[in-house]
Amino acid sequence: MTGPSAPLALTVHLAWVSSISFGGFPTVLPDVRNFVVGTNRWMTNQEFANLFAMGSQSPGPNMILMMSFVGWKVWGFPGALASALATFGPPCAMYFIAYRLWNRFRAAPWQRVVRLGLAPVVVGLVIASGTVMAHTADNSWQAVAVTIATAAITLATRLNPMWMLLAGGILGGLGLL
Amino acid sequence: MTDSEQGQKVEQVHLGILFTAFLTISLCGVGGGSGIIWARRITVETRRWVTDGEFADIISLCQFMPGPNIIGIAVCVGAKMRGAIGAIAALCGFLVVPWTVGLALGLLYLQYANLTAVRNILGGIATSAAGLLIATGTRLLKPYHHRPAALLFAVLAFILITVGKLPLFAVLFSVVPLSILIAGIENARAR
Repeated sequence: MTGPSAPLALTVHLAWVSSISFGGFPTVLPDVRNFVVGTNRWMTNQEFANLFAMGSQSPGPNMILMMSFVGWKVWGFPGALASALATFGPPCAMYFIAYRLWNRFRAAPWQRVVRLGLAPVVVGLVIASGTVMAHTADNSWQAVAVTIATAAITLATRLNPMWMLLAGGILGGLGLL
Repeated sequence: MTDSEQGQKVEQVHLGILFTAFLTISLCGVGGGSGIIWARRITVETRRWVTDGEFADIISLCQFMPGPNIIGIAVCVGAKMRGAIGAIAALCGFLVVPWTVGLALGLLYLQYANLTAVRNILGGIATSAAGLLIATGTRLLKPYHHRPAALLFAVLAFILITVGKLPLFAVLFSVVPLSILIAGIENARAR
Protein backbone atom coordinates (compact mmCIF):
# COMPACT_ATOMS: atom_id res chain seq x y z
CA MET A 1 0.00 0.00 0.00
CA THR A 2 2.26 2.78 -1.20
CA GLY A 3 1.52 5.89 -3.20
CA PRO A 4 -0.73 8.74 -2.26
CA SER A 5 -4.05 6.95 -2.82
CA ALA A 6 -4.00 5.04 0.48
CA PRO A 7 -3.37 8.02 2.80
CA LEU A 8 -5.80 10.12 0.78
CA ALA A 9 -8.51 7.50 1.15
CA LEU A 10 -7.82 7.22 4.88
CA THR A 11 -7.89 11.00 5.37
CA VAL A 12 -11.14 11.41 3.45
CA HIS A 13 -12.73 8.55 5.39
CA LEU A 14 -11.64 9.96 8.76
CA ALA A 15 -12.86 13.44 7.85
CA TRP A 16 -16.20 11.92 6.87
CA VAL A 17 -16.69 9.83 10.00
CA SER A 18 -15.47 12.60 12.30
CA SER A 19 -18.21 14.81 10.84
CA ILE A 20 -20.82 12.33 12.05
CA SER A 21 -19.10 11.29 15.31
CA PHE A 22 -21.98 12.37 17.53
CA GLY A 23 -21.16 11.67 21.15
CA GLY A 24 -17.41 11.66 20.61
CA PHE A 25 -14.92 9.79 18.49
CA PRO A 26 -15.18 6.36 20.19
CA THR A 27 -18.48 5.81 18.38
CA VAL A 28 -16.66 5.59 15.04
CA LEU A 29 -14.17 2.89 16.10
CA PRO A 30 -16.10 -0.03 14.57
CA ASP A 31 -16.44 1.87 11.31
CA VAL A 32 -12.74 2.79 11.20
CA ARG A 33 -11.77 -0.79 12.08
CA ASN A 34 -13.84 -2.12 9.18
CA PHE A 35 -12.26 0.42 6.82
CA VAL A 36 -8.65 -0.06 7.94
CA VAL A 37 -8.56 -3.78 8.77
CA GLY A 38 -11.44 -5.17 6.71
CA THR A 39 -11.75 -3.22 3.47
CA ASN A 40 -8.16 -2.05 2.98
CA ARG A 41 -6.13 -4.59 4.98
CA TRP A 42 -3.59 -1.96 6.03
CA MET A 43 -3.13 -3.76 9.35
CA THR A 44 -4.32 -6.78 11.33
CA ASN A 45 -6.94 -6.82 14.05
CA GLN A 46 -4.17 -7.16 16.60
CA GLU A 47 -2.26 -4.14 15.29
CA PHE A 48 -5.46 -2.09 15.38
CA ALA A 49 -6.11 -3.22 18.96
CA ASN A 50 -2.54 -2.22 19.88
CA LEU A 51 -3.06 1.28 18.49
CA PHE A 52 -6.32 1.45 20.46
CA ALA A 53 -4.33 0.51 23.58
CA MET A 54 -1.73 3.19 22.87
CA GLY A 55 -4.44 5.78 22.36
CA SER A 56 -6.30 4.77 25.51
CA GLN A 57 -3.35 5.23 27.81
CA SER A 58 -2.29 8.54 26.30
CA PRO A 59 -3.18 11.64 28.26
CA GLY A 60 -5.20 14.28 26.48
CA PRO A 61 -6.66 13.89 23.01
CA ASN A 62 -6.40 10.13 22.87
CA MET A 63 -8.67 9.36 19.93
CA ILE A 64 -6.81 11.93 17.81
CA LEU A 65 -3.58 10.21 18.80
CA MET A 66 -4.96 6.79 17.98
CA MET A 67 -5.98 7.95 14.50
CA SER A 68 -2.54 9.55 14.10
CA PHE A 69 -0.95 6.16 14.78
CA VAL A 70 -3.25 4.63 12.18
CA GLY A 71 -2.15 7.36 9.74
CA TRP A 72 1.49 6.73 10.62
CA LYS A 73 1.09 3.02 9.79
CA VAL A 74 -0.27 3.92 6.39
CA TRP A 75 1.99 6.84 5.40
CA GLY A 76 4.49 7.84 8.07
CA PHE A 77 4.55 11.34 9.53
CA PRO A 78 2.46 13.06 6.82
CA GLY A 79 -0.14 10.35 7.31
CA ALA A 80 -0.15 10.93 11.07
CA LEU A 81 -0.60 14.68 10.63
CA ALA A 82 -3.30 14.28 7.98
CA SER A 83 -5.21 11.80 10.14
CA ALA A 84 -5.06 14.09 13.16
CA LEU A 85 -6.36 17.04 11.15
CA ALA A 86 -9.10 14.91 9.60
CA THR A 87 -10.15 13.74 13.07
CA PHE A 88 -10.53 17.12 14.76
CA GLY A 89 -10.80 19.58 11.85
CA PRO A 90 -14.38 19.00 10.67
CA PRO A 91 -15.87 18.84 14.21
CA CYS A 92 -13.99 22.01 15.20
CA ALA A 93 -15.29 23.90 12.19
CA MET A 94 -18.78 22.73 13.13
CA TYR A 95 -18.30 23.78 16.78
CA PHE A 96 -17.20 27.21 15.64
CA ILE A 97 -20.18 27.72 13.34
CA ALA A 98 -22.62 26.29 15.88
CA TYR A 99 -21.25 28.56 18.59
CA ARG A 100 -21.84 31.55 16.34
CA LEU A 101 -25.42 30.42 15.67
CA TRP A 102 -26.04 29.18 19.21
CA ASN A 103 -28.04 32.20 20.34
CA ARG A 104 -30.42 31.69 17.47
CA PHE A 105 -31.34 28.08 18.22
CA ARG A 106 -30.56 27.56 21.91
CA ALA A 107 -34.16 28.19 22.95
CA ALA A 108 -35.77 26.38 20.01
CA PRO A 109 -38.01 23.52 21.17
CA TRP A 110 -36.78 21.19 18.39
CA GLN A 111 -33.30 21.45 19.85
CA ARG A 112 -34.38 19.60 23.01
CA VAL A 113 -36.26 16.97 21.03
CA VAL A 114 -33.31 16.33 18.72
CA ARG A 115 -31.08 15.87 21.75
CA LEU A 116 -33.60 13.54 23.40
CA GLY A 117 -33.66 11.43 20.25
CA LEU A 118 -29.95 11.50 19.52
CA ALA A 119 -28.59 10.75 23.00
CA PRO A 120 -29.82 7.16 23.48
CA VAL A 121 -28.62 6.18 20.00
CA VAL A 122 -25.17 7.53 20.86
CA VAL A 123 -25.17 5.49 24.07
CA GLY A 124 -25.91 2.34 22.04
CA LEU A 125 -23.08 3.25 19.67
CA VAL A 126 -20.57 3.70 22.52
CA ILE A 127 -21.40 0.29 23.99
CA ALA A 128 -21.21 -1.21 20.50
CA SER A 129 -17.74 0.31 20.08
CA GLY A 130 -16.56 -1.25 23.32
CA THR A 131 -17.95 -4.61 22.22
CA VAL A 132 -16.35 -4.44 18.78
CA MET A 133 -12.99 -3.44 20.30
CA ALA A 134 -13.27 -6.30 22.81
CA HIS A 135 -13.92 -8.63 19.90
CA THR A 136 -10.89 -7.18 18.10
CA ALA A 137 -8.54 -7.34 21.09
CA ASP A 138 -9.59 -10.45 23.02
CA ASN A 139 -8.13 -13.69 21.72
CA SER A 140 -8.71 -15.88 24.77
CA TRP A 141 -11.34 -16.46 27.41
CA GLN A 142 -8.97 -14.91 29.96
CA ALA A 143 -8.95 -11.70 27.93
CA VAL A 144 -12.74 -11.70 27.72
CA ALA A 145 -12.85 -12.15 31.49
CA VAL A 146 -10.55 -9.13 31.96
CA THR A 147 -12.75 -7.00 29.70
CA ILE A 148 -15.86 -7.97 31.64
CA ALA A 149 -14.11 -7.48 35.00
CA THR A 150 -12.87 -4.03 33.93
CA ALA A 151 -16.37 -3.00 32.90
CA ALA A 152 -17.85 -4.33 36.15
CA ILE A 153 -15.25 -2.69 38.40
CA THR A 154 -15.60 0.62 36.57
CA LEU A 155 -19.37 0.54 37.04
CA ALA A 156 -19.18 -0.48 40.69
CA THR A 157 -16.36 1.79 41.91
CA ARG A 158 -14.89 5.22 41.28
CA LEU A 159 -11.40 3.87 40.68
CA ASN A 160 -9.25 5.91 38.28
CA PRO A 161 -9.42 4.16 34.87
CA MET A 162 -5.62 4.36 34.62
CA TRP A 163 -5.34 1.62 37.28
CA MET A 164 -7.49 -0.64 35.15
CA LEU A 165 -5.34 -0.05 32.07
CA LEU A 166 -2.23 -0.70 34.17
CA ALA A 167 -3.68 -3.95 35.50
CA GLY A 168 -4.55 -5.05 31.97
CA GLY A 169 -1.04 -4.19 30.80
CA ILE A 170 0.56 -6.16 33.65
CA LEU A 171 -1.63 -9.22 33.09
CA GLY A 172 -0.84 -9.04 29.36
CA GLY A 173 2.88 -8.54 30.01
CA LEU A 174 2.95 -11.61 32.22
CA GLY A 175 1.55 -13.57 29.30
CA LEU A 176 -1.68 -14.44 31.08
CA LEU A 177 -4.08 -13.21 28.39
CA MET B 1 -9.74 46.31 34.77
CA THR B 2 -9.35 48.90 37.51
CA ASP B 3 -9.41 51.83 35.11
CA SER B 4 -12.36 50.56 33.11
CA GLU B 5 -14.59 53.20 31.66
CA GLN B 6 -18.22 52.94 30.65
CA GLY B 7 -18.59 51.35 27.22
CA GLN B 8 -14.98 50.29 27.05
CA LYS B 9 -14.45 47.17 25.01
CA VAL B 10 -13.70 43.93 26.81
CA GLU B 11 -9.98 43.71 27.34
CA GLN B 12 -8.44 41.71 24.52
CA VAL B 13 -6.93 38.51 25.77
CA HIS B 14 -3.50 37.86 24.33
CA LEU B 15 -3.47 34.81 22.05
CA GLY B 16 -0.50 33.43 23.96
CA ILE B 17 -2.54 33.48 27.16
CA LEU B 18 -5.37 31.57 25.50
CA PHE B 19 -2.78 29.12 24.20
CA THR B 20 -1.14 28.53 27.59
CA ALA B 21 -4.45 28.32 29.45
CA PHE B 22 -5.62 25.47 27.22
CA LEU B 23 -2.20 23.89 27.31
CA THR B 24 -2.55 23.82 31.11
CA ILE B 25 -6.03 22.31 30.85
CA SER B 26 -4.81 19.58 28.53
CA LEU B 27 -1.91 18.71 30.84
CA CYS B 28 -4.10 18.74 33.97
CA GLY B 29 -6.62 16.43 32.33
CA VAL B 30 -4.09 13.60 32.32
CA GLY B 31 -5.72 10.44 33.58
CA GLY B 32 -8.95 10.86 31.69
CA GLY B 33 -12.39 11.95 32.70
CA SER B 34 -11.40 15.07 34.59
CA GLY B 35 -10.71 17.28 31.58
CA ILE B 36 -14.00 19.13 31.84
CA ILE B 37 -13.42 19.85 35.55
CA TRP B 38 -10.09 21.53 34.77
CA ALA B 39 -11.56 23.37 31.80
CA ARG B 40 -14.23 24.82 34.10
CA ARG B 41 -11.80 25.67 36.86
CA ILE B 42 -9.49 27.60 34.55
CA THR B 43 -11.95 29.26 32.14
CA VAL B 44 -14.66 30.08 34.70
CA GLU B 45 -12.95 30.44 38.08
CA THR B 46 -9.37 31.50 37.41
CA ARG B 47 -9.65 33.51 34.18
CA ARG B 48 -13.33 34.50 34.28
CA TRP B 49 -13.53 34.29 30.49
CA VAL B 50 -16.98 32.71 30.62
CA THR B 51 -19.65 32.59 33.30
CA ASP B 52 -20.93 29.37 34.81
CA GLY B 53 -24.06 29.65 32.67
CA GLU B 54 -22.08 30.16 29.48
CA PHE B 55 -19.90 27.18 30.36
CA ALA B 56 -22.97 24.98 30.85
CA ASP B 57 -24.32 26.23 27.52
CA ILE B 58 -21.06 25.35 25.79
CA ILE B 59 -21.11 21.86 27.32
CA SER B 60 -24.65 21.20 26.18
CA LEU B 61 -23.85 22.56 22.73
CA CYS B 62 -20.83 20.27 22.52
CA GLN B 63 -22.77 17.20 23.58
CA PHE B 64 -25.10 17.89 20.71
CA MET B 65 -22.30 17.94 18.14
CA PRO B 66 -19.95 15.40 16.60
CA GLY B 67 -16.33 15.09 17.61
CA PRO B 68 -14.39 14.96 20.84
CA ASN B 69 -16.53 17.11 23.16
CA ILE B 70 -13.79 18.67 25.24
CA ILE B 71 -12.22 20.17 22.14
CA GLY B 72 -15.45 22.06 21.66
CA ILE B 73 -14.76 23.94 24.90
CA ALA B 74 -11.44 25.19 23.51
CA VAL B 75 -13.08 26.21 20.23
CA CYS B 76 -16.04 28.00 21.87
CA VAL B 77 -14.07 29.84 24.58
CA GLY B 78 -11.40 30.82 22.05
CA ALA B 79 -14.11 32.00 19.65
CA LYS B 80 -15.75 34.07 22.37
CA MET B 81 -12.53 35.81 23.39
CA ARG B 82 -10.87 36.41 20.02
CA GLY B 83 -13.01 34.96 17.20
CA ALA B 84 -11.61 32.44 14.72
CA ILE B 85 -7.96 33.17 15.52
CA GLY B 86 -8.72 32.75 19.22
CA ALA B 87 -10.38 29.40 18.58
CA ILE B 88 -7.29 28.26 16.68
CA ALA B 89 -4.95 29.49 19.45
CA ALA B 90 -6.95 27.71 22.16
CA LEU B 91 -7.14 24.57 20.04
CA CYS B 92 -3.39 24.60 19.33
CA GLY B 93 -2.68 25.03 23.03
CA PHE B 94 -4.97 22.17 23.81
CA LEU B 95 -3.58 19.79 21.20
CA VAL B 96 -0.04 20.56 20.09
CA VAL B 97 2.02 19.48 23.10
CA PRO B 98 -0.02 16.41 24.13
CA TRP B 99 -0.18 15.35 20.49
CA THR B 100 3.55 15.73 19.88
CA VAL B 101 4.54 14.02 23.12
CA GLY B 102 1.94 11.28 22.68
CA LEU B 103 2.96 10.66 19.08
CA ALA B 104 6.67 10.52 19.95
CA LEU B 105 6.10 8.08 22.83
CA GLY B 106 3.72 6.02 20.71
CA LEU B 107 6.18 5.76 17.85
CA LEU B 108 8.88 4.70 20.28
CA TYR B 109 6.47 1.98 21.39
CA LEU B 110 5.78 0.99 17.79
CA GLN B 111 9.53 0.49 17.26
CA TYR B 112 9.32 -2.37 19.69
CA ALA B 113 5.84 -3.53 18.77
CA ASN B 114 7.18 -6.76 17.28
CA LEU B 115 8.72 -7.78 20.60
CA THR B 116 6.47 -10.35 22.24
CA ALA B 117 6.55 -8.62 25.63
CA VAL B 118 5.46 -5.23 24.23
CA ARG B 119 2.77 -6.88 22.13
CA ASN B 120 1.45 -8.71 25.19
CA ILE B 121 1.36 -5.54 27.27
CA LEU B 122 -0.47 -3.60 24.56
CA GLY B 123 -2.87 -6.48 24.09
CA GLY B 124 -3.64 -6.46 27.81
CA ILE B 125 -4.22 -2.70 27.81
CA ALA B 126 -6.57 -2.98 24.81
CA THR B 127 -8.51 -5.67 26.67
CA SER B 128 -9.08 -3.35 29.65
CA ALA B 129 -9.68 -0.30 27.47
CA ALA B 130 -12.52 -2.12 25.69
CA GLY B 131 -14.05 -2.85 29.10
CA LEU B 132 -13.76 0.84 30.06
CA LEU B 133 -15.59 1.84 26.90
CA ILE B 134 -18.41 -0.63 27.59
CA ALA B 135 -18.67 0.71 31.16
CA THR B 136 -18.76 4.33 29.96
CA GLY B 137 -21.65 3.56 27.64
CA THR B 138 -23.50 1.48 30.22
CA ARG B 139 -23.25 4.30 32.74
CA LEU B 140 -24.77 6.68 30.19
CA LEU B 141 -27.79 4.36 29.90
CA LYS B 142 -28.89 5.15 33.44
CA PRO B 143 -31.05 8.24 32.72
CA TYR B 144 -33.15 6.21 30.26
CA HIS B 145 -34.46 3.58 32.68
CA HIS B 146 -37.88 5.19 32.65
CA ARG B 147 -37.95 5.66 28.87
CA PRO B 148 -38.42 2.27 27.17
CA ALA B 149 -38.38 3.84 23.69
CA ALA B 150 -34.93 5.35 24.36
CA LEU B 151 -33.60 1.99 25.58
CA LEU B 152 -35.03 0.35 22.47
CA PHE B 153 -33.17 2.74 20.17
CA ALA B 154 -29.93 2.27 22.13
CA VAL B 155 -30.28 -1.51 21.73
CA LEU B 156 -31.18 -1.14 18.05
CA ALA B 157 -28.07 0.99 17.35
CA PHE B 158 -25.96 -1.52 19.29
CA ILE B 159 -27.26 -4.51 17.32
CA LEU B 160 -26.97 -2.84 13.91
CA ILE B 161 -23.27 -2.08 14.57
CA THR B 162 -22.19 -5.29 16.33
CA VAL B 163 -24.35 -7.93 14.62
CA GLY B 164 -25.38 -6.08 11.45
CA LYS B 165 -21.85 -4.70 10.94
CA LEU B 166 -23.38 -1.69 9.18
CA PRO B 167 -21.39 1.49 8.56
CA LEU B 168 -21.92 4.28 11.09
CA PHE B 169 -23.73 6.64 8.70
CA ALA B 170 -26.26 3.94 7.79
CA VAL B 171 -27.08 3.39 11.45
CA LEU B 172 -27.19 7.09 12.29
CA PHE B 173 -29.36 8.09 9.36
CA SER B 174 -31.82 5.25 9.89
CA VAL B 175 -32.15 5.09 13.67
CA VAL B 176 -31.70 8.75 14.67
CA PRO B 177 -34.64 10.19 12.65
CA LEU B 178 -36.93 7.49 14.07
CA SER B 179 -35.66 8.13 17.56
CA ILE B 180 -36.16 11.89 17.19
CA LEU B 181 -39.65 11.30 15.84
CA ILE B 182 -40.60 9.18 18.86
CA ALA B 183 -38.98 11.69 21.23
CA GLY B 184 -41.04 14.42 19.55
CA ILE B 185 -44.27 12.45 20.01
CA GLU B 186 -43.42 11.73 23.66
CA ASN B 187 -42.59 15.38 24.18
CA ALA B 188 -45.87 16.54 22.64
CA ARG B 189 -47.87 14.08 24.76
CA ALA B 190 -46.13 15.21 27.93
CA ARG B 191 -47.51 18.70 27.50
